Amino acid sequence: MNELKGLARAAQIYLDPQQRARELKAEGKKIAGYLCCYPPVEIMTALGYVPIRILGDMNEPITEADAYLPTVMCAFYRSILDVAMKGRYDFLDAFIGAHACDGAERVSYIWRSYLKSPCSFYLDVPHSNHAAAIDFFKVQLNYLKDELEKTSGCNFSQEALREAVKLYNKQRSLVRSLYKLNRQDPPLVSGSEMLQVMVSIMCIPAEEGNSLLEEVIEEVSNRSAGPGQKKGRILIWGSLIDNIAMTKLIEDCGLNIVIDDTAIGTRSFWVDVDETSDPFEGLAVRYLDKIVCPRTFRDTKGTRSEDLDNRFKYLKIMAKEWNVNGVYFNIIRNCDIHGYEIPEVRDYFEDIGIPVLVIEQDYSTTALEPLRTRFQAFAENIG
Amino acid sequence: MEQKKKKTSSAKTLQTAREAGNFGKRILASARLAAEEGKPVAWSMVDWWLGGTIAKAIGIELCYPENYGAFCAAVRKAEPFLDYAENDGVPNTTCGYARNGIGYTRRLKENNFIIPEDAPGGGMPKPLFLLGCGAVCDARYKWFQSMGRYMDVPVWTLEFPQTGVAEFFMPGYKEENIKFMVRELRSFVEFLEKLTGRKMDWDNLSERLDTTFKTHELAHKVDLLRKSVPSPAVNTDFWAIMIPHLYLPDDKEALAFYQRVYEEVKYKVDNKIGAIPNEKYRMAFAELPPWHTLGIFDEFAAKHGIAFAIESWNYHAPSPLPESEREGVNDPLELIARYSFHKFNEYTPTAQLNCMDPTIFTAPYLKWVEDYRIDGLFCHPLLSCRPATYTLMHLRNLLMEKCKVPSVVVEGDIVDLRVFNEEEAHVKIEAFIETMDHYREIRKKEGFEW
Ligand code: SF4
Repeated sequence: MNELKGLARAAQIYLDPQQRARELKAEGKKIAGYLCCYPPVEIMTALGYVPIRILGDMNEPITEADAYLPTVMCAFYRSILDVAMKGRYDFLDAFIGAHACDGAERVSYIWRSYLKSPCSFYLDVPHSNHAAAIDFFKVQLNYLKDELEKTSGCNFSQEALREAVKLYNKQRSLVRSLYKLNRQDPPLVSGSEMLQVMVSIMCIPAEEGNSLLEEVIEEVSNRSAGPGQKKGRILIWGSLIDNIAMTKLIEDCGLNIVIDDTAIGTRSFWVDVDETSDPFEGLAVRYLDKIVCPRTFRDTKGTRSEDLDNRFKYLKIMAKEWNVNGVYFNIIRNCDIHGYEIPEVRDYFEDIGIPVLVIEQDYSTTALEPLRTRFQAFAENIG
Repeated sequence: MEQKKKKTSSAKTLQTAREAGNFGKRILASARLAAEEGKPVAWSMVDWWLGGTIAKAIGIELCYPENYGAFCAAVRKAEPFLDYAENDGVPNTTCGYARNGIGYTRRLKENNFIIPEDAPGGGMPKPLFLLGCGAVCDARYKWFQSMGRYMDVPVWTLEFPQTGVAEFFMPGYKEENIKFMVRELRSFVEFLEKLTGRKMDWDNLSERLDTTFKTHELAHKVDLLRKSVPSPAVNTDFWAIMIPHLYLPDDKEALAFYQRVYEEVKYKVDNKIGAIPNEKYRMAFAELPPWHTLGIFDEFAAKHGIAFAIESWNYHAPSPLPESEREGVNDPLELIARYSFHKFNEYTPTAQLNCMDPTIFTAPYLKWVEDYRIDGLFCHPLLSCRPATYTLMHLRNLLMEKCKVPSVVVEGDIVDLRVFNEEEAHVKIEAFIETMDHYREIRKKEGFEW
């Protein structure tokens, strides 16, 4: 049915990320929408649901959500509730909220109070990676499984879950391969193309996502003209980006986004689920411990600098392997989780000689233009 | 700085409330004394009696940066700390208490951990460790983690499960939560023993728990007495008397104090003495107060006869733990877990009844408006405490839809007095009087009991 392939297909899906889910729904499939990167897609898939990541919309002025959420809240989550109130996710058969951060938690609650879907589950994600927390999270995942099973129309099987783990591990490995193509200079994939691919694979069935990734990898590996050389090779750290207006602006200012540590990017794909005999064990460890997001507290380790390495060493490795010469901290205003971390991560990078640009932005395409001069100045600075 | 001659603090209506400030001062003084004597001191978040009692039972003195933030705000000395935190890159949108604490810590470090002479209230001494908590807000552990930046001390985060309403009623769900909390508390005890080289004094812990339950029972009884018309005590009284039950409930002096609070309030109820002279309207307040301008509530009372009959769910002691939950529980850690879980979930049946989430910050008010015969809700969205603000709009909608109780919104902040506009607050309240009258009529017509 669809003629487009690779990057062109990703660009098409990106334009209306929920369209494929609506088509599948019309074909009789069940769709599960989930918040953030903590509800395991493997469980939804094993029960016959097509999982889709719930997104906001930087192009859509927030109007409906004003009656439910205060303006001092993270604009991404306000936007999510806004588009949901406007009916964008009315087709969901299951809604999975999550305690990823205060914003996600409260929006999950408020969503459930007004928008009813046949199945709804609030996944309590513990704050730490303590052993007891991982066990508790495993129990939570079993409750999620039970709730989804009630409305899925099929019986849960460990085998199906193991298969789903394999399927998504393959996806993660493909995503890592794609990002690896950006280690070279100039990189092969622009930040905007990468974002279109990431958004796409989060909103279509995993098999389709994997084919898309394979097509993209083949396409860009053989391309002669990628994003080209620019003044800076940057890493983006912080709150998520789900709109290419943001990445395009950065790129227009002379910066190549070669790698990121954000939730619609590597953070959701970087590590695999171990294929443990009890698949819930592997899932609990992967989602709660192995995903590194500042929302998960890690016990203080040794001296201050040992502790910082324990928390942020992966960033140092990324910066080195992708040979970045600058880091952009993307902070959606009112994102506490990243906000409290700014001074520490900034110093951590600056200590290894990598300059940092911190911008708090309002998650609105209409508010982007004033940021242009700051990106330009940063590009000049590091170029 | 202070151009206004106007009084900014509240006169308070209870004699006991006027005396409660001593507890706050005592917490700071005891921590400083302990530090001078070489005893272990820790900084703790308010954790709803999870870890603080345990730390004290092993001989650690605690002080509370959150309370210190409120104190600095009340004496209007918070701004320099806020600026100092922001200077280091902490966004000005983060919690005001947090920025106050971070700014203070940065100064403490630069002063070689000698408390600066001009520190409000005498200041907090350098801690042995930082005790964060997972309840209610991300600030409670992220803030503490970020303070670790200025002091090479460990941070411990106490887990606190966040429960959805439907999930709460799932078979076995609650017990899984309790099991998790108990294991976490056990790890915390191990952490303390390793850090201090001391052994946990379990008898001391049980004794402290016993006192806590008694203090809280009295605090809860005071809350129940406040249902009376006219209201025997108001919000500004509560915000003073809460200090001992939040921070020192395991202290014998706090227990004795609450006995006196109870007697004072009881006397007023028995003799129909209202907290304010001419009570005409009863309001609820959500959620955190403008510490820097509490006197404004005295003005609302004098001008319009408004008694704030109930407020700030999060600061209240819960009802006593039901006997069924205590029966056969010999492990004090389990008792602590059950009690703290109870605090956060006791209104879940109300939430279920009203088909809504969440319990926290929201469901209690649905019950309270009826119990306390509330005419209107004063919503105080905070610039910098978002967790207590997120659900305010939702709460407004629910109160109107389910109970025909209107609300008025006055924006402000717990710490940052620059964002609170007193004149505007007066204008809004003035206009709100009519709205309350109107909805009284509507409730009457629709058969509500108040
Ligand atoms: S509840 Fe609000 S004021 Fe209290 S620590 Fe959390 S963010 Fe700060």
